[in-house]
Amino acid sequence: MSNQPVVPSGHDSDDAGQGVVNEFDQPVEGVSLTKDAWRRLKKNKMAMFGLVVVVIYALLSITAPILPIHSFRYQVPEHRDLPPSFTKTAGELWYERVEHRMYQLAERDGRTTLTPEQQDELADIRHRIETETAMIDGQEVKIHQWRYILGTDHLGRDMLARIIYGGQISIAIGLIGTITSVLIGIILGAIAGYVGGKTDYMIMRFVDVMYGLPYMLVVIILMAIFGRNIFNLFLALSLVSWLVVARVVRGQIISLKNSEFVEAARSMGASQRRIIFRHLIPNTAGIIIVFATLRIPAFIMQESFLSFLGLGISAPFASWGSLVSDAVERMTGAPWQLFFPAMAMTLFLFAMNFLGDGLRDAFDPHSKNRL
Amino acid sequence: MKKTVLVLGLIAIVASFGFAGGAQEAGGAGAGDVTEFVIGNGAEPESLDPHLVSGVPEHRIMMGLYEGLVVPDPETATAVPGVAESWEISDDGTMYTFTLREDAQWSDGTPITAQQFVDSWLRILNPETAAPYAWFPSMFIKGAADYNAGEAGPESVAVRALDDRTFQFETVGPLPYTLDALSHYSFQVVPLHAIEEYGSEWTLPENFVGNGPYTLAEWSPQQRIVLEPNPTYWNADKVQLDRVVFLPVEEDTTMYNMYINGEIDWATNVPLGQLEQAQLRDDYHVSPYLGTYYYVFNNGREPLNDPNVRKALSMAIDRQLLVDTVTRAGQIPAYSMVPEMTGYPGIEGLGDDLDTARQLLADAGYPDGEGFPELTVLYNTNEAHKSIAEFIQQQWLDNLNINVTLENQEWGTYLNNRRQHNFDIARAGWIGDYQDPNTFLDMFITGGAMNGGQFANDEYDSLIAQAAQMQAGPERFDVLRQAEQIFIEDEMAVMPIYYYVNLNMIDLQKWSGWYANIMGWHPVGDIVGAN
Repeated sequence: MSNQPVVPSGHDSDDAGQGVVNEFDQPVEGVSLTKDAWRRLKKNKMAMFGLVVVVIYALLSITAPILPIHSFRYQVPEHRDLPPSFTKTAGELWYERVEHRMYQLAERDGRTTLTPEQQDELADIRHRIETETAMIDGQEVKIHQWRYILGTDHLGRDMLARIIYGGQISIAIGLIGTITSVLIGIILGAIAGYVGGKTDYMIMRFVDVMYGLPYMLVVIILMAIFGRNIFNLFLALSLVSWLVVARVVRGQIISLKNSEFVEAARSMGASQRRIIFRHLIPNTAGIIIVFATLRIPAFIMQESFLSFLGLGISAPFASWGSLVSDAVERMTGAPWQLFFPAMAMTLFLFAMNFLGDGLRDAFDPHSKNRL
Repeated sequence: MKKTVLVLGLIAIVASFGFAGGAQEAGGAGAGDVTEFVIGNGAEPESLDPHLVSGVPEHRIMMGLYEGLVVPDPETATAVPGVAESWEISDDGTMYTFTLREDAQWSDGTPITAQQFVDSWLRILNPETAAPYAWFPSMFIKGAADYNAGEAGPESVAVRALDDRTFQFETVGPLPYTLDALSHYSFQVVPLHAIEEYGSEWTLPENFVGNGPYTLAEWSPQQRIVLEPNPTYWNADKVQLDRVVFLPVEEDTTMYNMYINGEIDWATNVPLGQLEQAQLRDDYHVSPYLGTYYYVFNNGREPLNDPNVRKALSMAIDRQLLVDTVTRAGQIPAYSMVPEMTGYPGIEGLGDDLDTARQLLADAGYPDGEGFPELTVLYNTNEAHKSIAEFIQQQWLDNLNINVTLENQEWGTYLNNRRQHNFDIARAGWIGDYQDPNTFLDMFITGGAMNGGQFANDEYDSLIAQAAQMQAGPERFDVLRQAEQIFIEDEMAVMPIYYYVNLNMIDLQKWSGWYANIMGWHPVGDIVGAN
C-alpha cells in the first residue's frame, strides 16, 4: 500500500529495543504503513488500554440482546429509584424503602409505631414479594427476586440494561456519523484537491459557507424539517460535520498530487479516478483514521447535547446523553442514576481519546520506522 | 505550621459563610425593623402591564400591584369588594352595576373613576393592543368578542360609566361565575393617564402607577422585583409587610434549596426529586388545584375516530399506580374532565377496567391489538410529562399490546400542532379560570379554538349553549353534567388522567394570611407576619 521509499528496518517488531544491532547488515524487509503504525501503537500503553476498552464496549453493545440482563424498557413501578446492590433483591430494597418511609411519616406525626393499616400494607408487600410474578417473553418471572447491580431509574427500569442499550445507540451515532461524514469529506476533498480550478473553488466556497453557519442551529433546523427520528439524527449530524475532513483531505491531496508516484501512475495511463482513489486517498489514510477516532467522541457529545435539549433520541429508547439528562433533576435523591451513565460515557470518551492520540502518533510520517 | 495556617484559614472562611448565612436568615425572618417577604416566583414576568401578560408568575405580582373591581378572598378565592364597594346584579343575571369607592385612587393620587374602567376594558379588547388574555373578557362582556375580532367598533361593547362612581356592564348571558372571574387581571383597570404620558415605559419603577396594596419600588430584570406599600391604597392599614421581593427562580430544585437555606419565604413549587424530603416538613402544603391533566385524542383520525378505541385506551391505564409511583405528590386519579367542585354533582366516568378495555378494542376490530397502527403521543419537552408518557406507553403495551411512539416538542411548536390538529394523541393540562364546570367544558364545542382534538357533537354543543343561558342552580349544573356525560362516558373525546395539586412551601408559624385554596391564588396584600 505504501508509496514511501522503503528503508531498512532495524529489526522485527517483536524484539524491538533489545541489544545493539548493526543496522547495515540486516536483511531488508518491507514494512507497510499500517503494519508500522500498528507496531508503534502496541508500544503505547494508554492507546492499547483505550483500544481494549473500546473493544469491550463494542462487544457489550453488539451482544446486548443475548446478554443476561433485564429489558431496558420493562417498567416495574414498585421498583422505582432502587439503589445499586449486589446482595439484596429488588423486593428487599423495595420493602425497606416503604418501611423506612412509614417510620419517617410516623415520626413526623409524633408516633413511634405503625398504624394497623400500615402494618397490613407491609404484610401485603411481603406477600407480593414472595408470590408475585410477571409474564416476560412468555415466561413467568418472579420480578421481586431480581437484583439490580446498578440500581433502577425513576420508572423502575434496570439501569445496567439502559446503560448498555444507551451505549448501543451512542456508539452507533458516533460510528455512523463518523463514517458518513468521513466518506463525504474524503470524496469532496479529494475531488477539490485533485481537480483544482473552478471545481475546487466551488466546493471550498460551499464548505466556507457551511462553516459560517452555527453548527447546532443547522442540526436543529434539519431535525425540525425532516422530523424527529434516529435516522434523521444521524443524517443531520453527519451532514454538517464533513467540512473539516474535506479541508484536510484537500490539503493533503494538493501537496501529494505533483509527487513522483502520481506522475508515475499518470504516465502509465491511470485514469483520474484511479489516481484519486487508488493512490492519493490511501496516502491520506493516516490523518483520516486519526480524525475519525477523535470525531466519534465528538458525535457522542453532540448527541448528548441534543438529548439534553430534548431533541435527541425519543423515549423509551435512551442514549448516554438522555440518561444523564433524565437523571440531573434527581441528582440528590438518586445519584446513581446520574453517576453510572456519566461514568460509562466518560470512560468511553477517555478510551476513544487515548486511542485517537495513540493513532495520531502511530501514523505520524515523521516517526516512521521509529519505535 | 503551614497546615495550621491552612486550617485556620479554612475555619475563617467557613465561619464567614456561616455568619453571612445567619445574617440572611435574620433578614428573611423579619427580625429588626423591616419585614421582608421573599417569594420564589417561577419566572421573569413578560410585562408588568396587566393587559399584556398571561402567566401564573405574573398573576402573583399583579395581585400585589393592582386591584380590580373585586379581589379574591385569600381563603376561598371567591370575590370580595375591591375598588367597587358594592354591586347589584339584575334579576336576569346579565346586568352588573358597580359602585366604586370614594377613596379609590392611583398611587400618584389621581382618583379612579368609572370612565377609567370603561377605557381600560376597551383597551384590552382593542385588537391593536394584542392582549394575550383578551379572549377571557370576550367570553363575558356583551359585544366584546366582536370588537376584539375587529368586526365591530368599541361602541358595540356593553360597558358604560353612569357617573364618576357607577360602572355598568352587560354579559352575554346569565353566567353565574362572572363575579368571581372579575378579579382576574384581564379585567384590571389601568392608569391610562400614566400610559399616555410614558408610553410603554410606564411600568418602569420611576414611572409606575398602580392601585394595589403595594407599588413597584425596584425592577431588575432576571434578578428581582421589589414591592413596597402603596401609601394611597384605600385599605393601607391591612398592608403590613415593608417589602415584598419576587425572585424569578425558574429551576424548582434551586428554589427548594433557597427555601431550605432561608433565602426565600414562599416557594411556589416543589421539585419531584425533593418531594419525599419535603413531605416530612410541616411547612409543606399540598392542596387540590382546579386543574386536570389529560390526553387529547385526535377524534378526526383513524383509528381514534372510533369511540371504542378511545375508551379502550383510557380504561387500560392504572391511574392509581401512575399517581402513586410517577407523579407522587398526592394527585387524584381523574375519570372525569371536571374536578370536584362545590355544588356540581360530577360524573362517575368509566374507571380502569382491563377486561372491558380489551373487549372494546376487539369490538373495534383490533383483537389483542392486532393491526393497530403505531400512534404518536405528543408532549411538550418536560421531564414530568416524559415520565408520564413513558408510563402510559408501557401500560398500553402490556395491557392492550399496542405500541405508541413518543414525541416531544418545544412549547410553542407543540401548542401550534395541537391547535392545528396535527397529532394523534397529545398531552394537555387545563387549569380552570373560575370555579365553575363551564371552564372545563366550553372549550370543546365544535370548532372551538382550544378544541385541538376535533371533538364534534351537536347535542354537546346545544347543552353548553343552553347552560350559558341558565341561571345559577342545580338545573344548570345538571345540564352541564349531561354535557360532560356525553363528552367522557359516551365519547371519551379526551382521556382524563389526574387532577392537579398545588405544592407550596411556606412556614405558616411565621406568616399568616396565606391559605391553600383550589384556585392557587394567594393575594400578597393579605399576607402578614404572624406576630
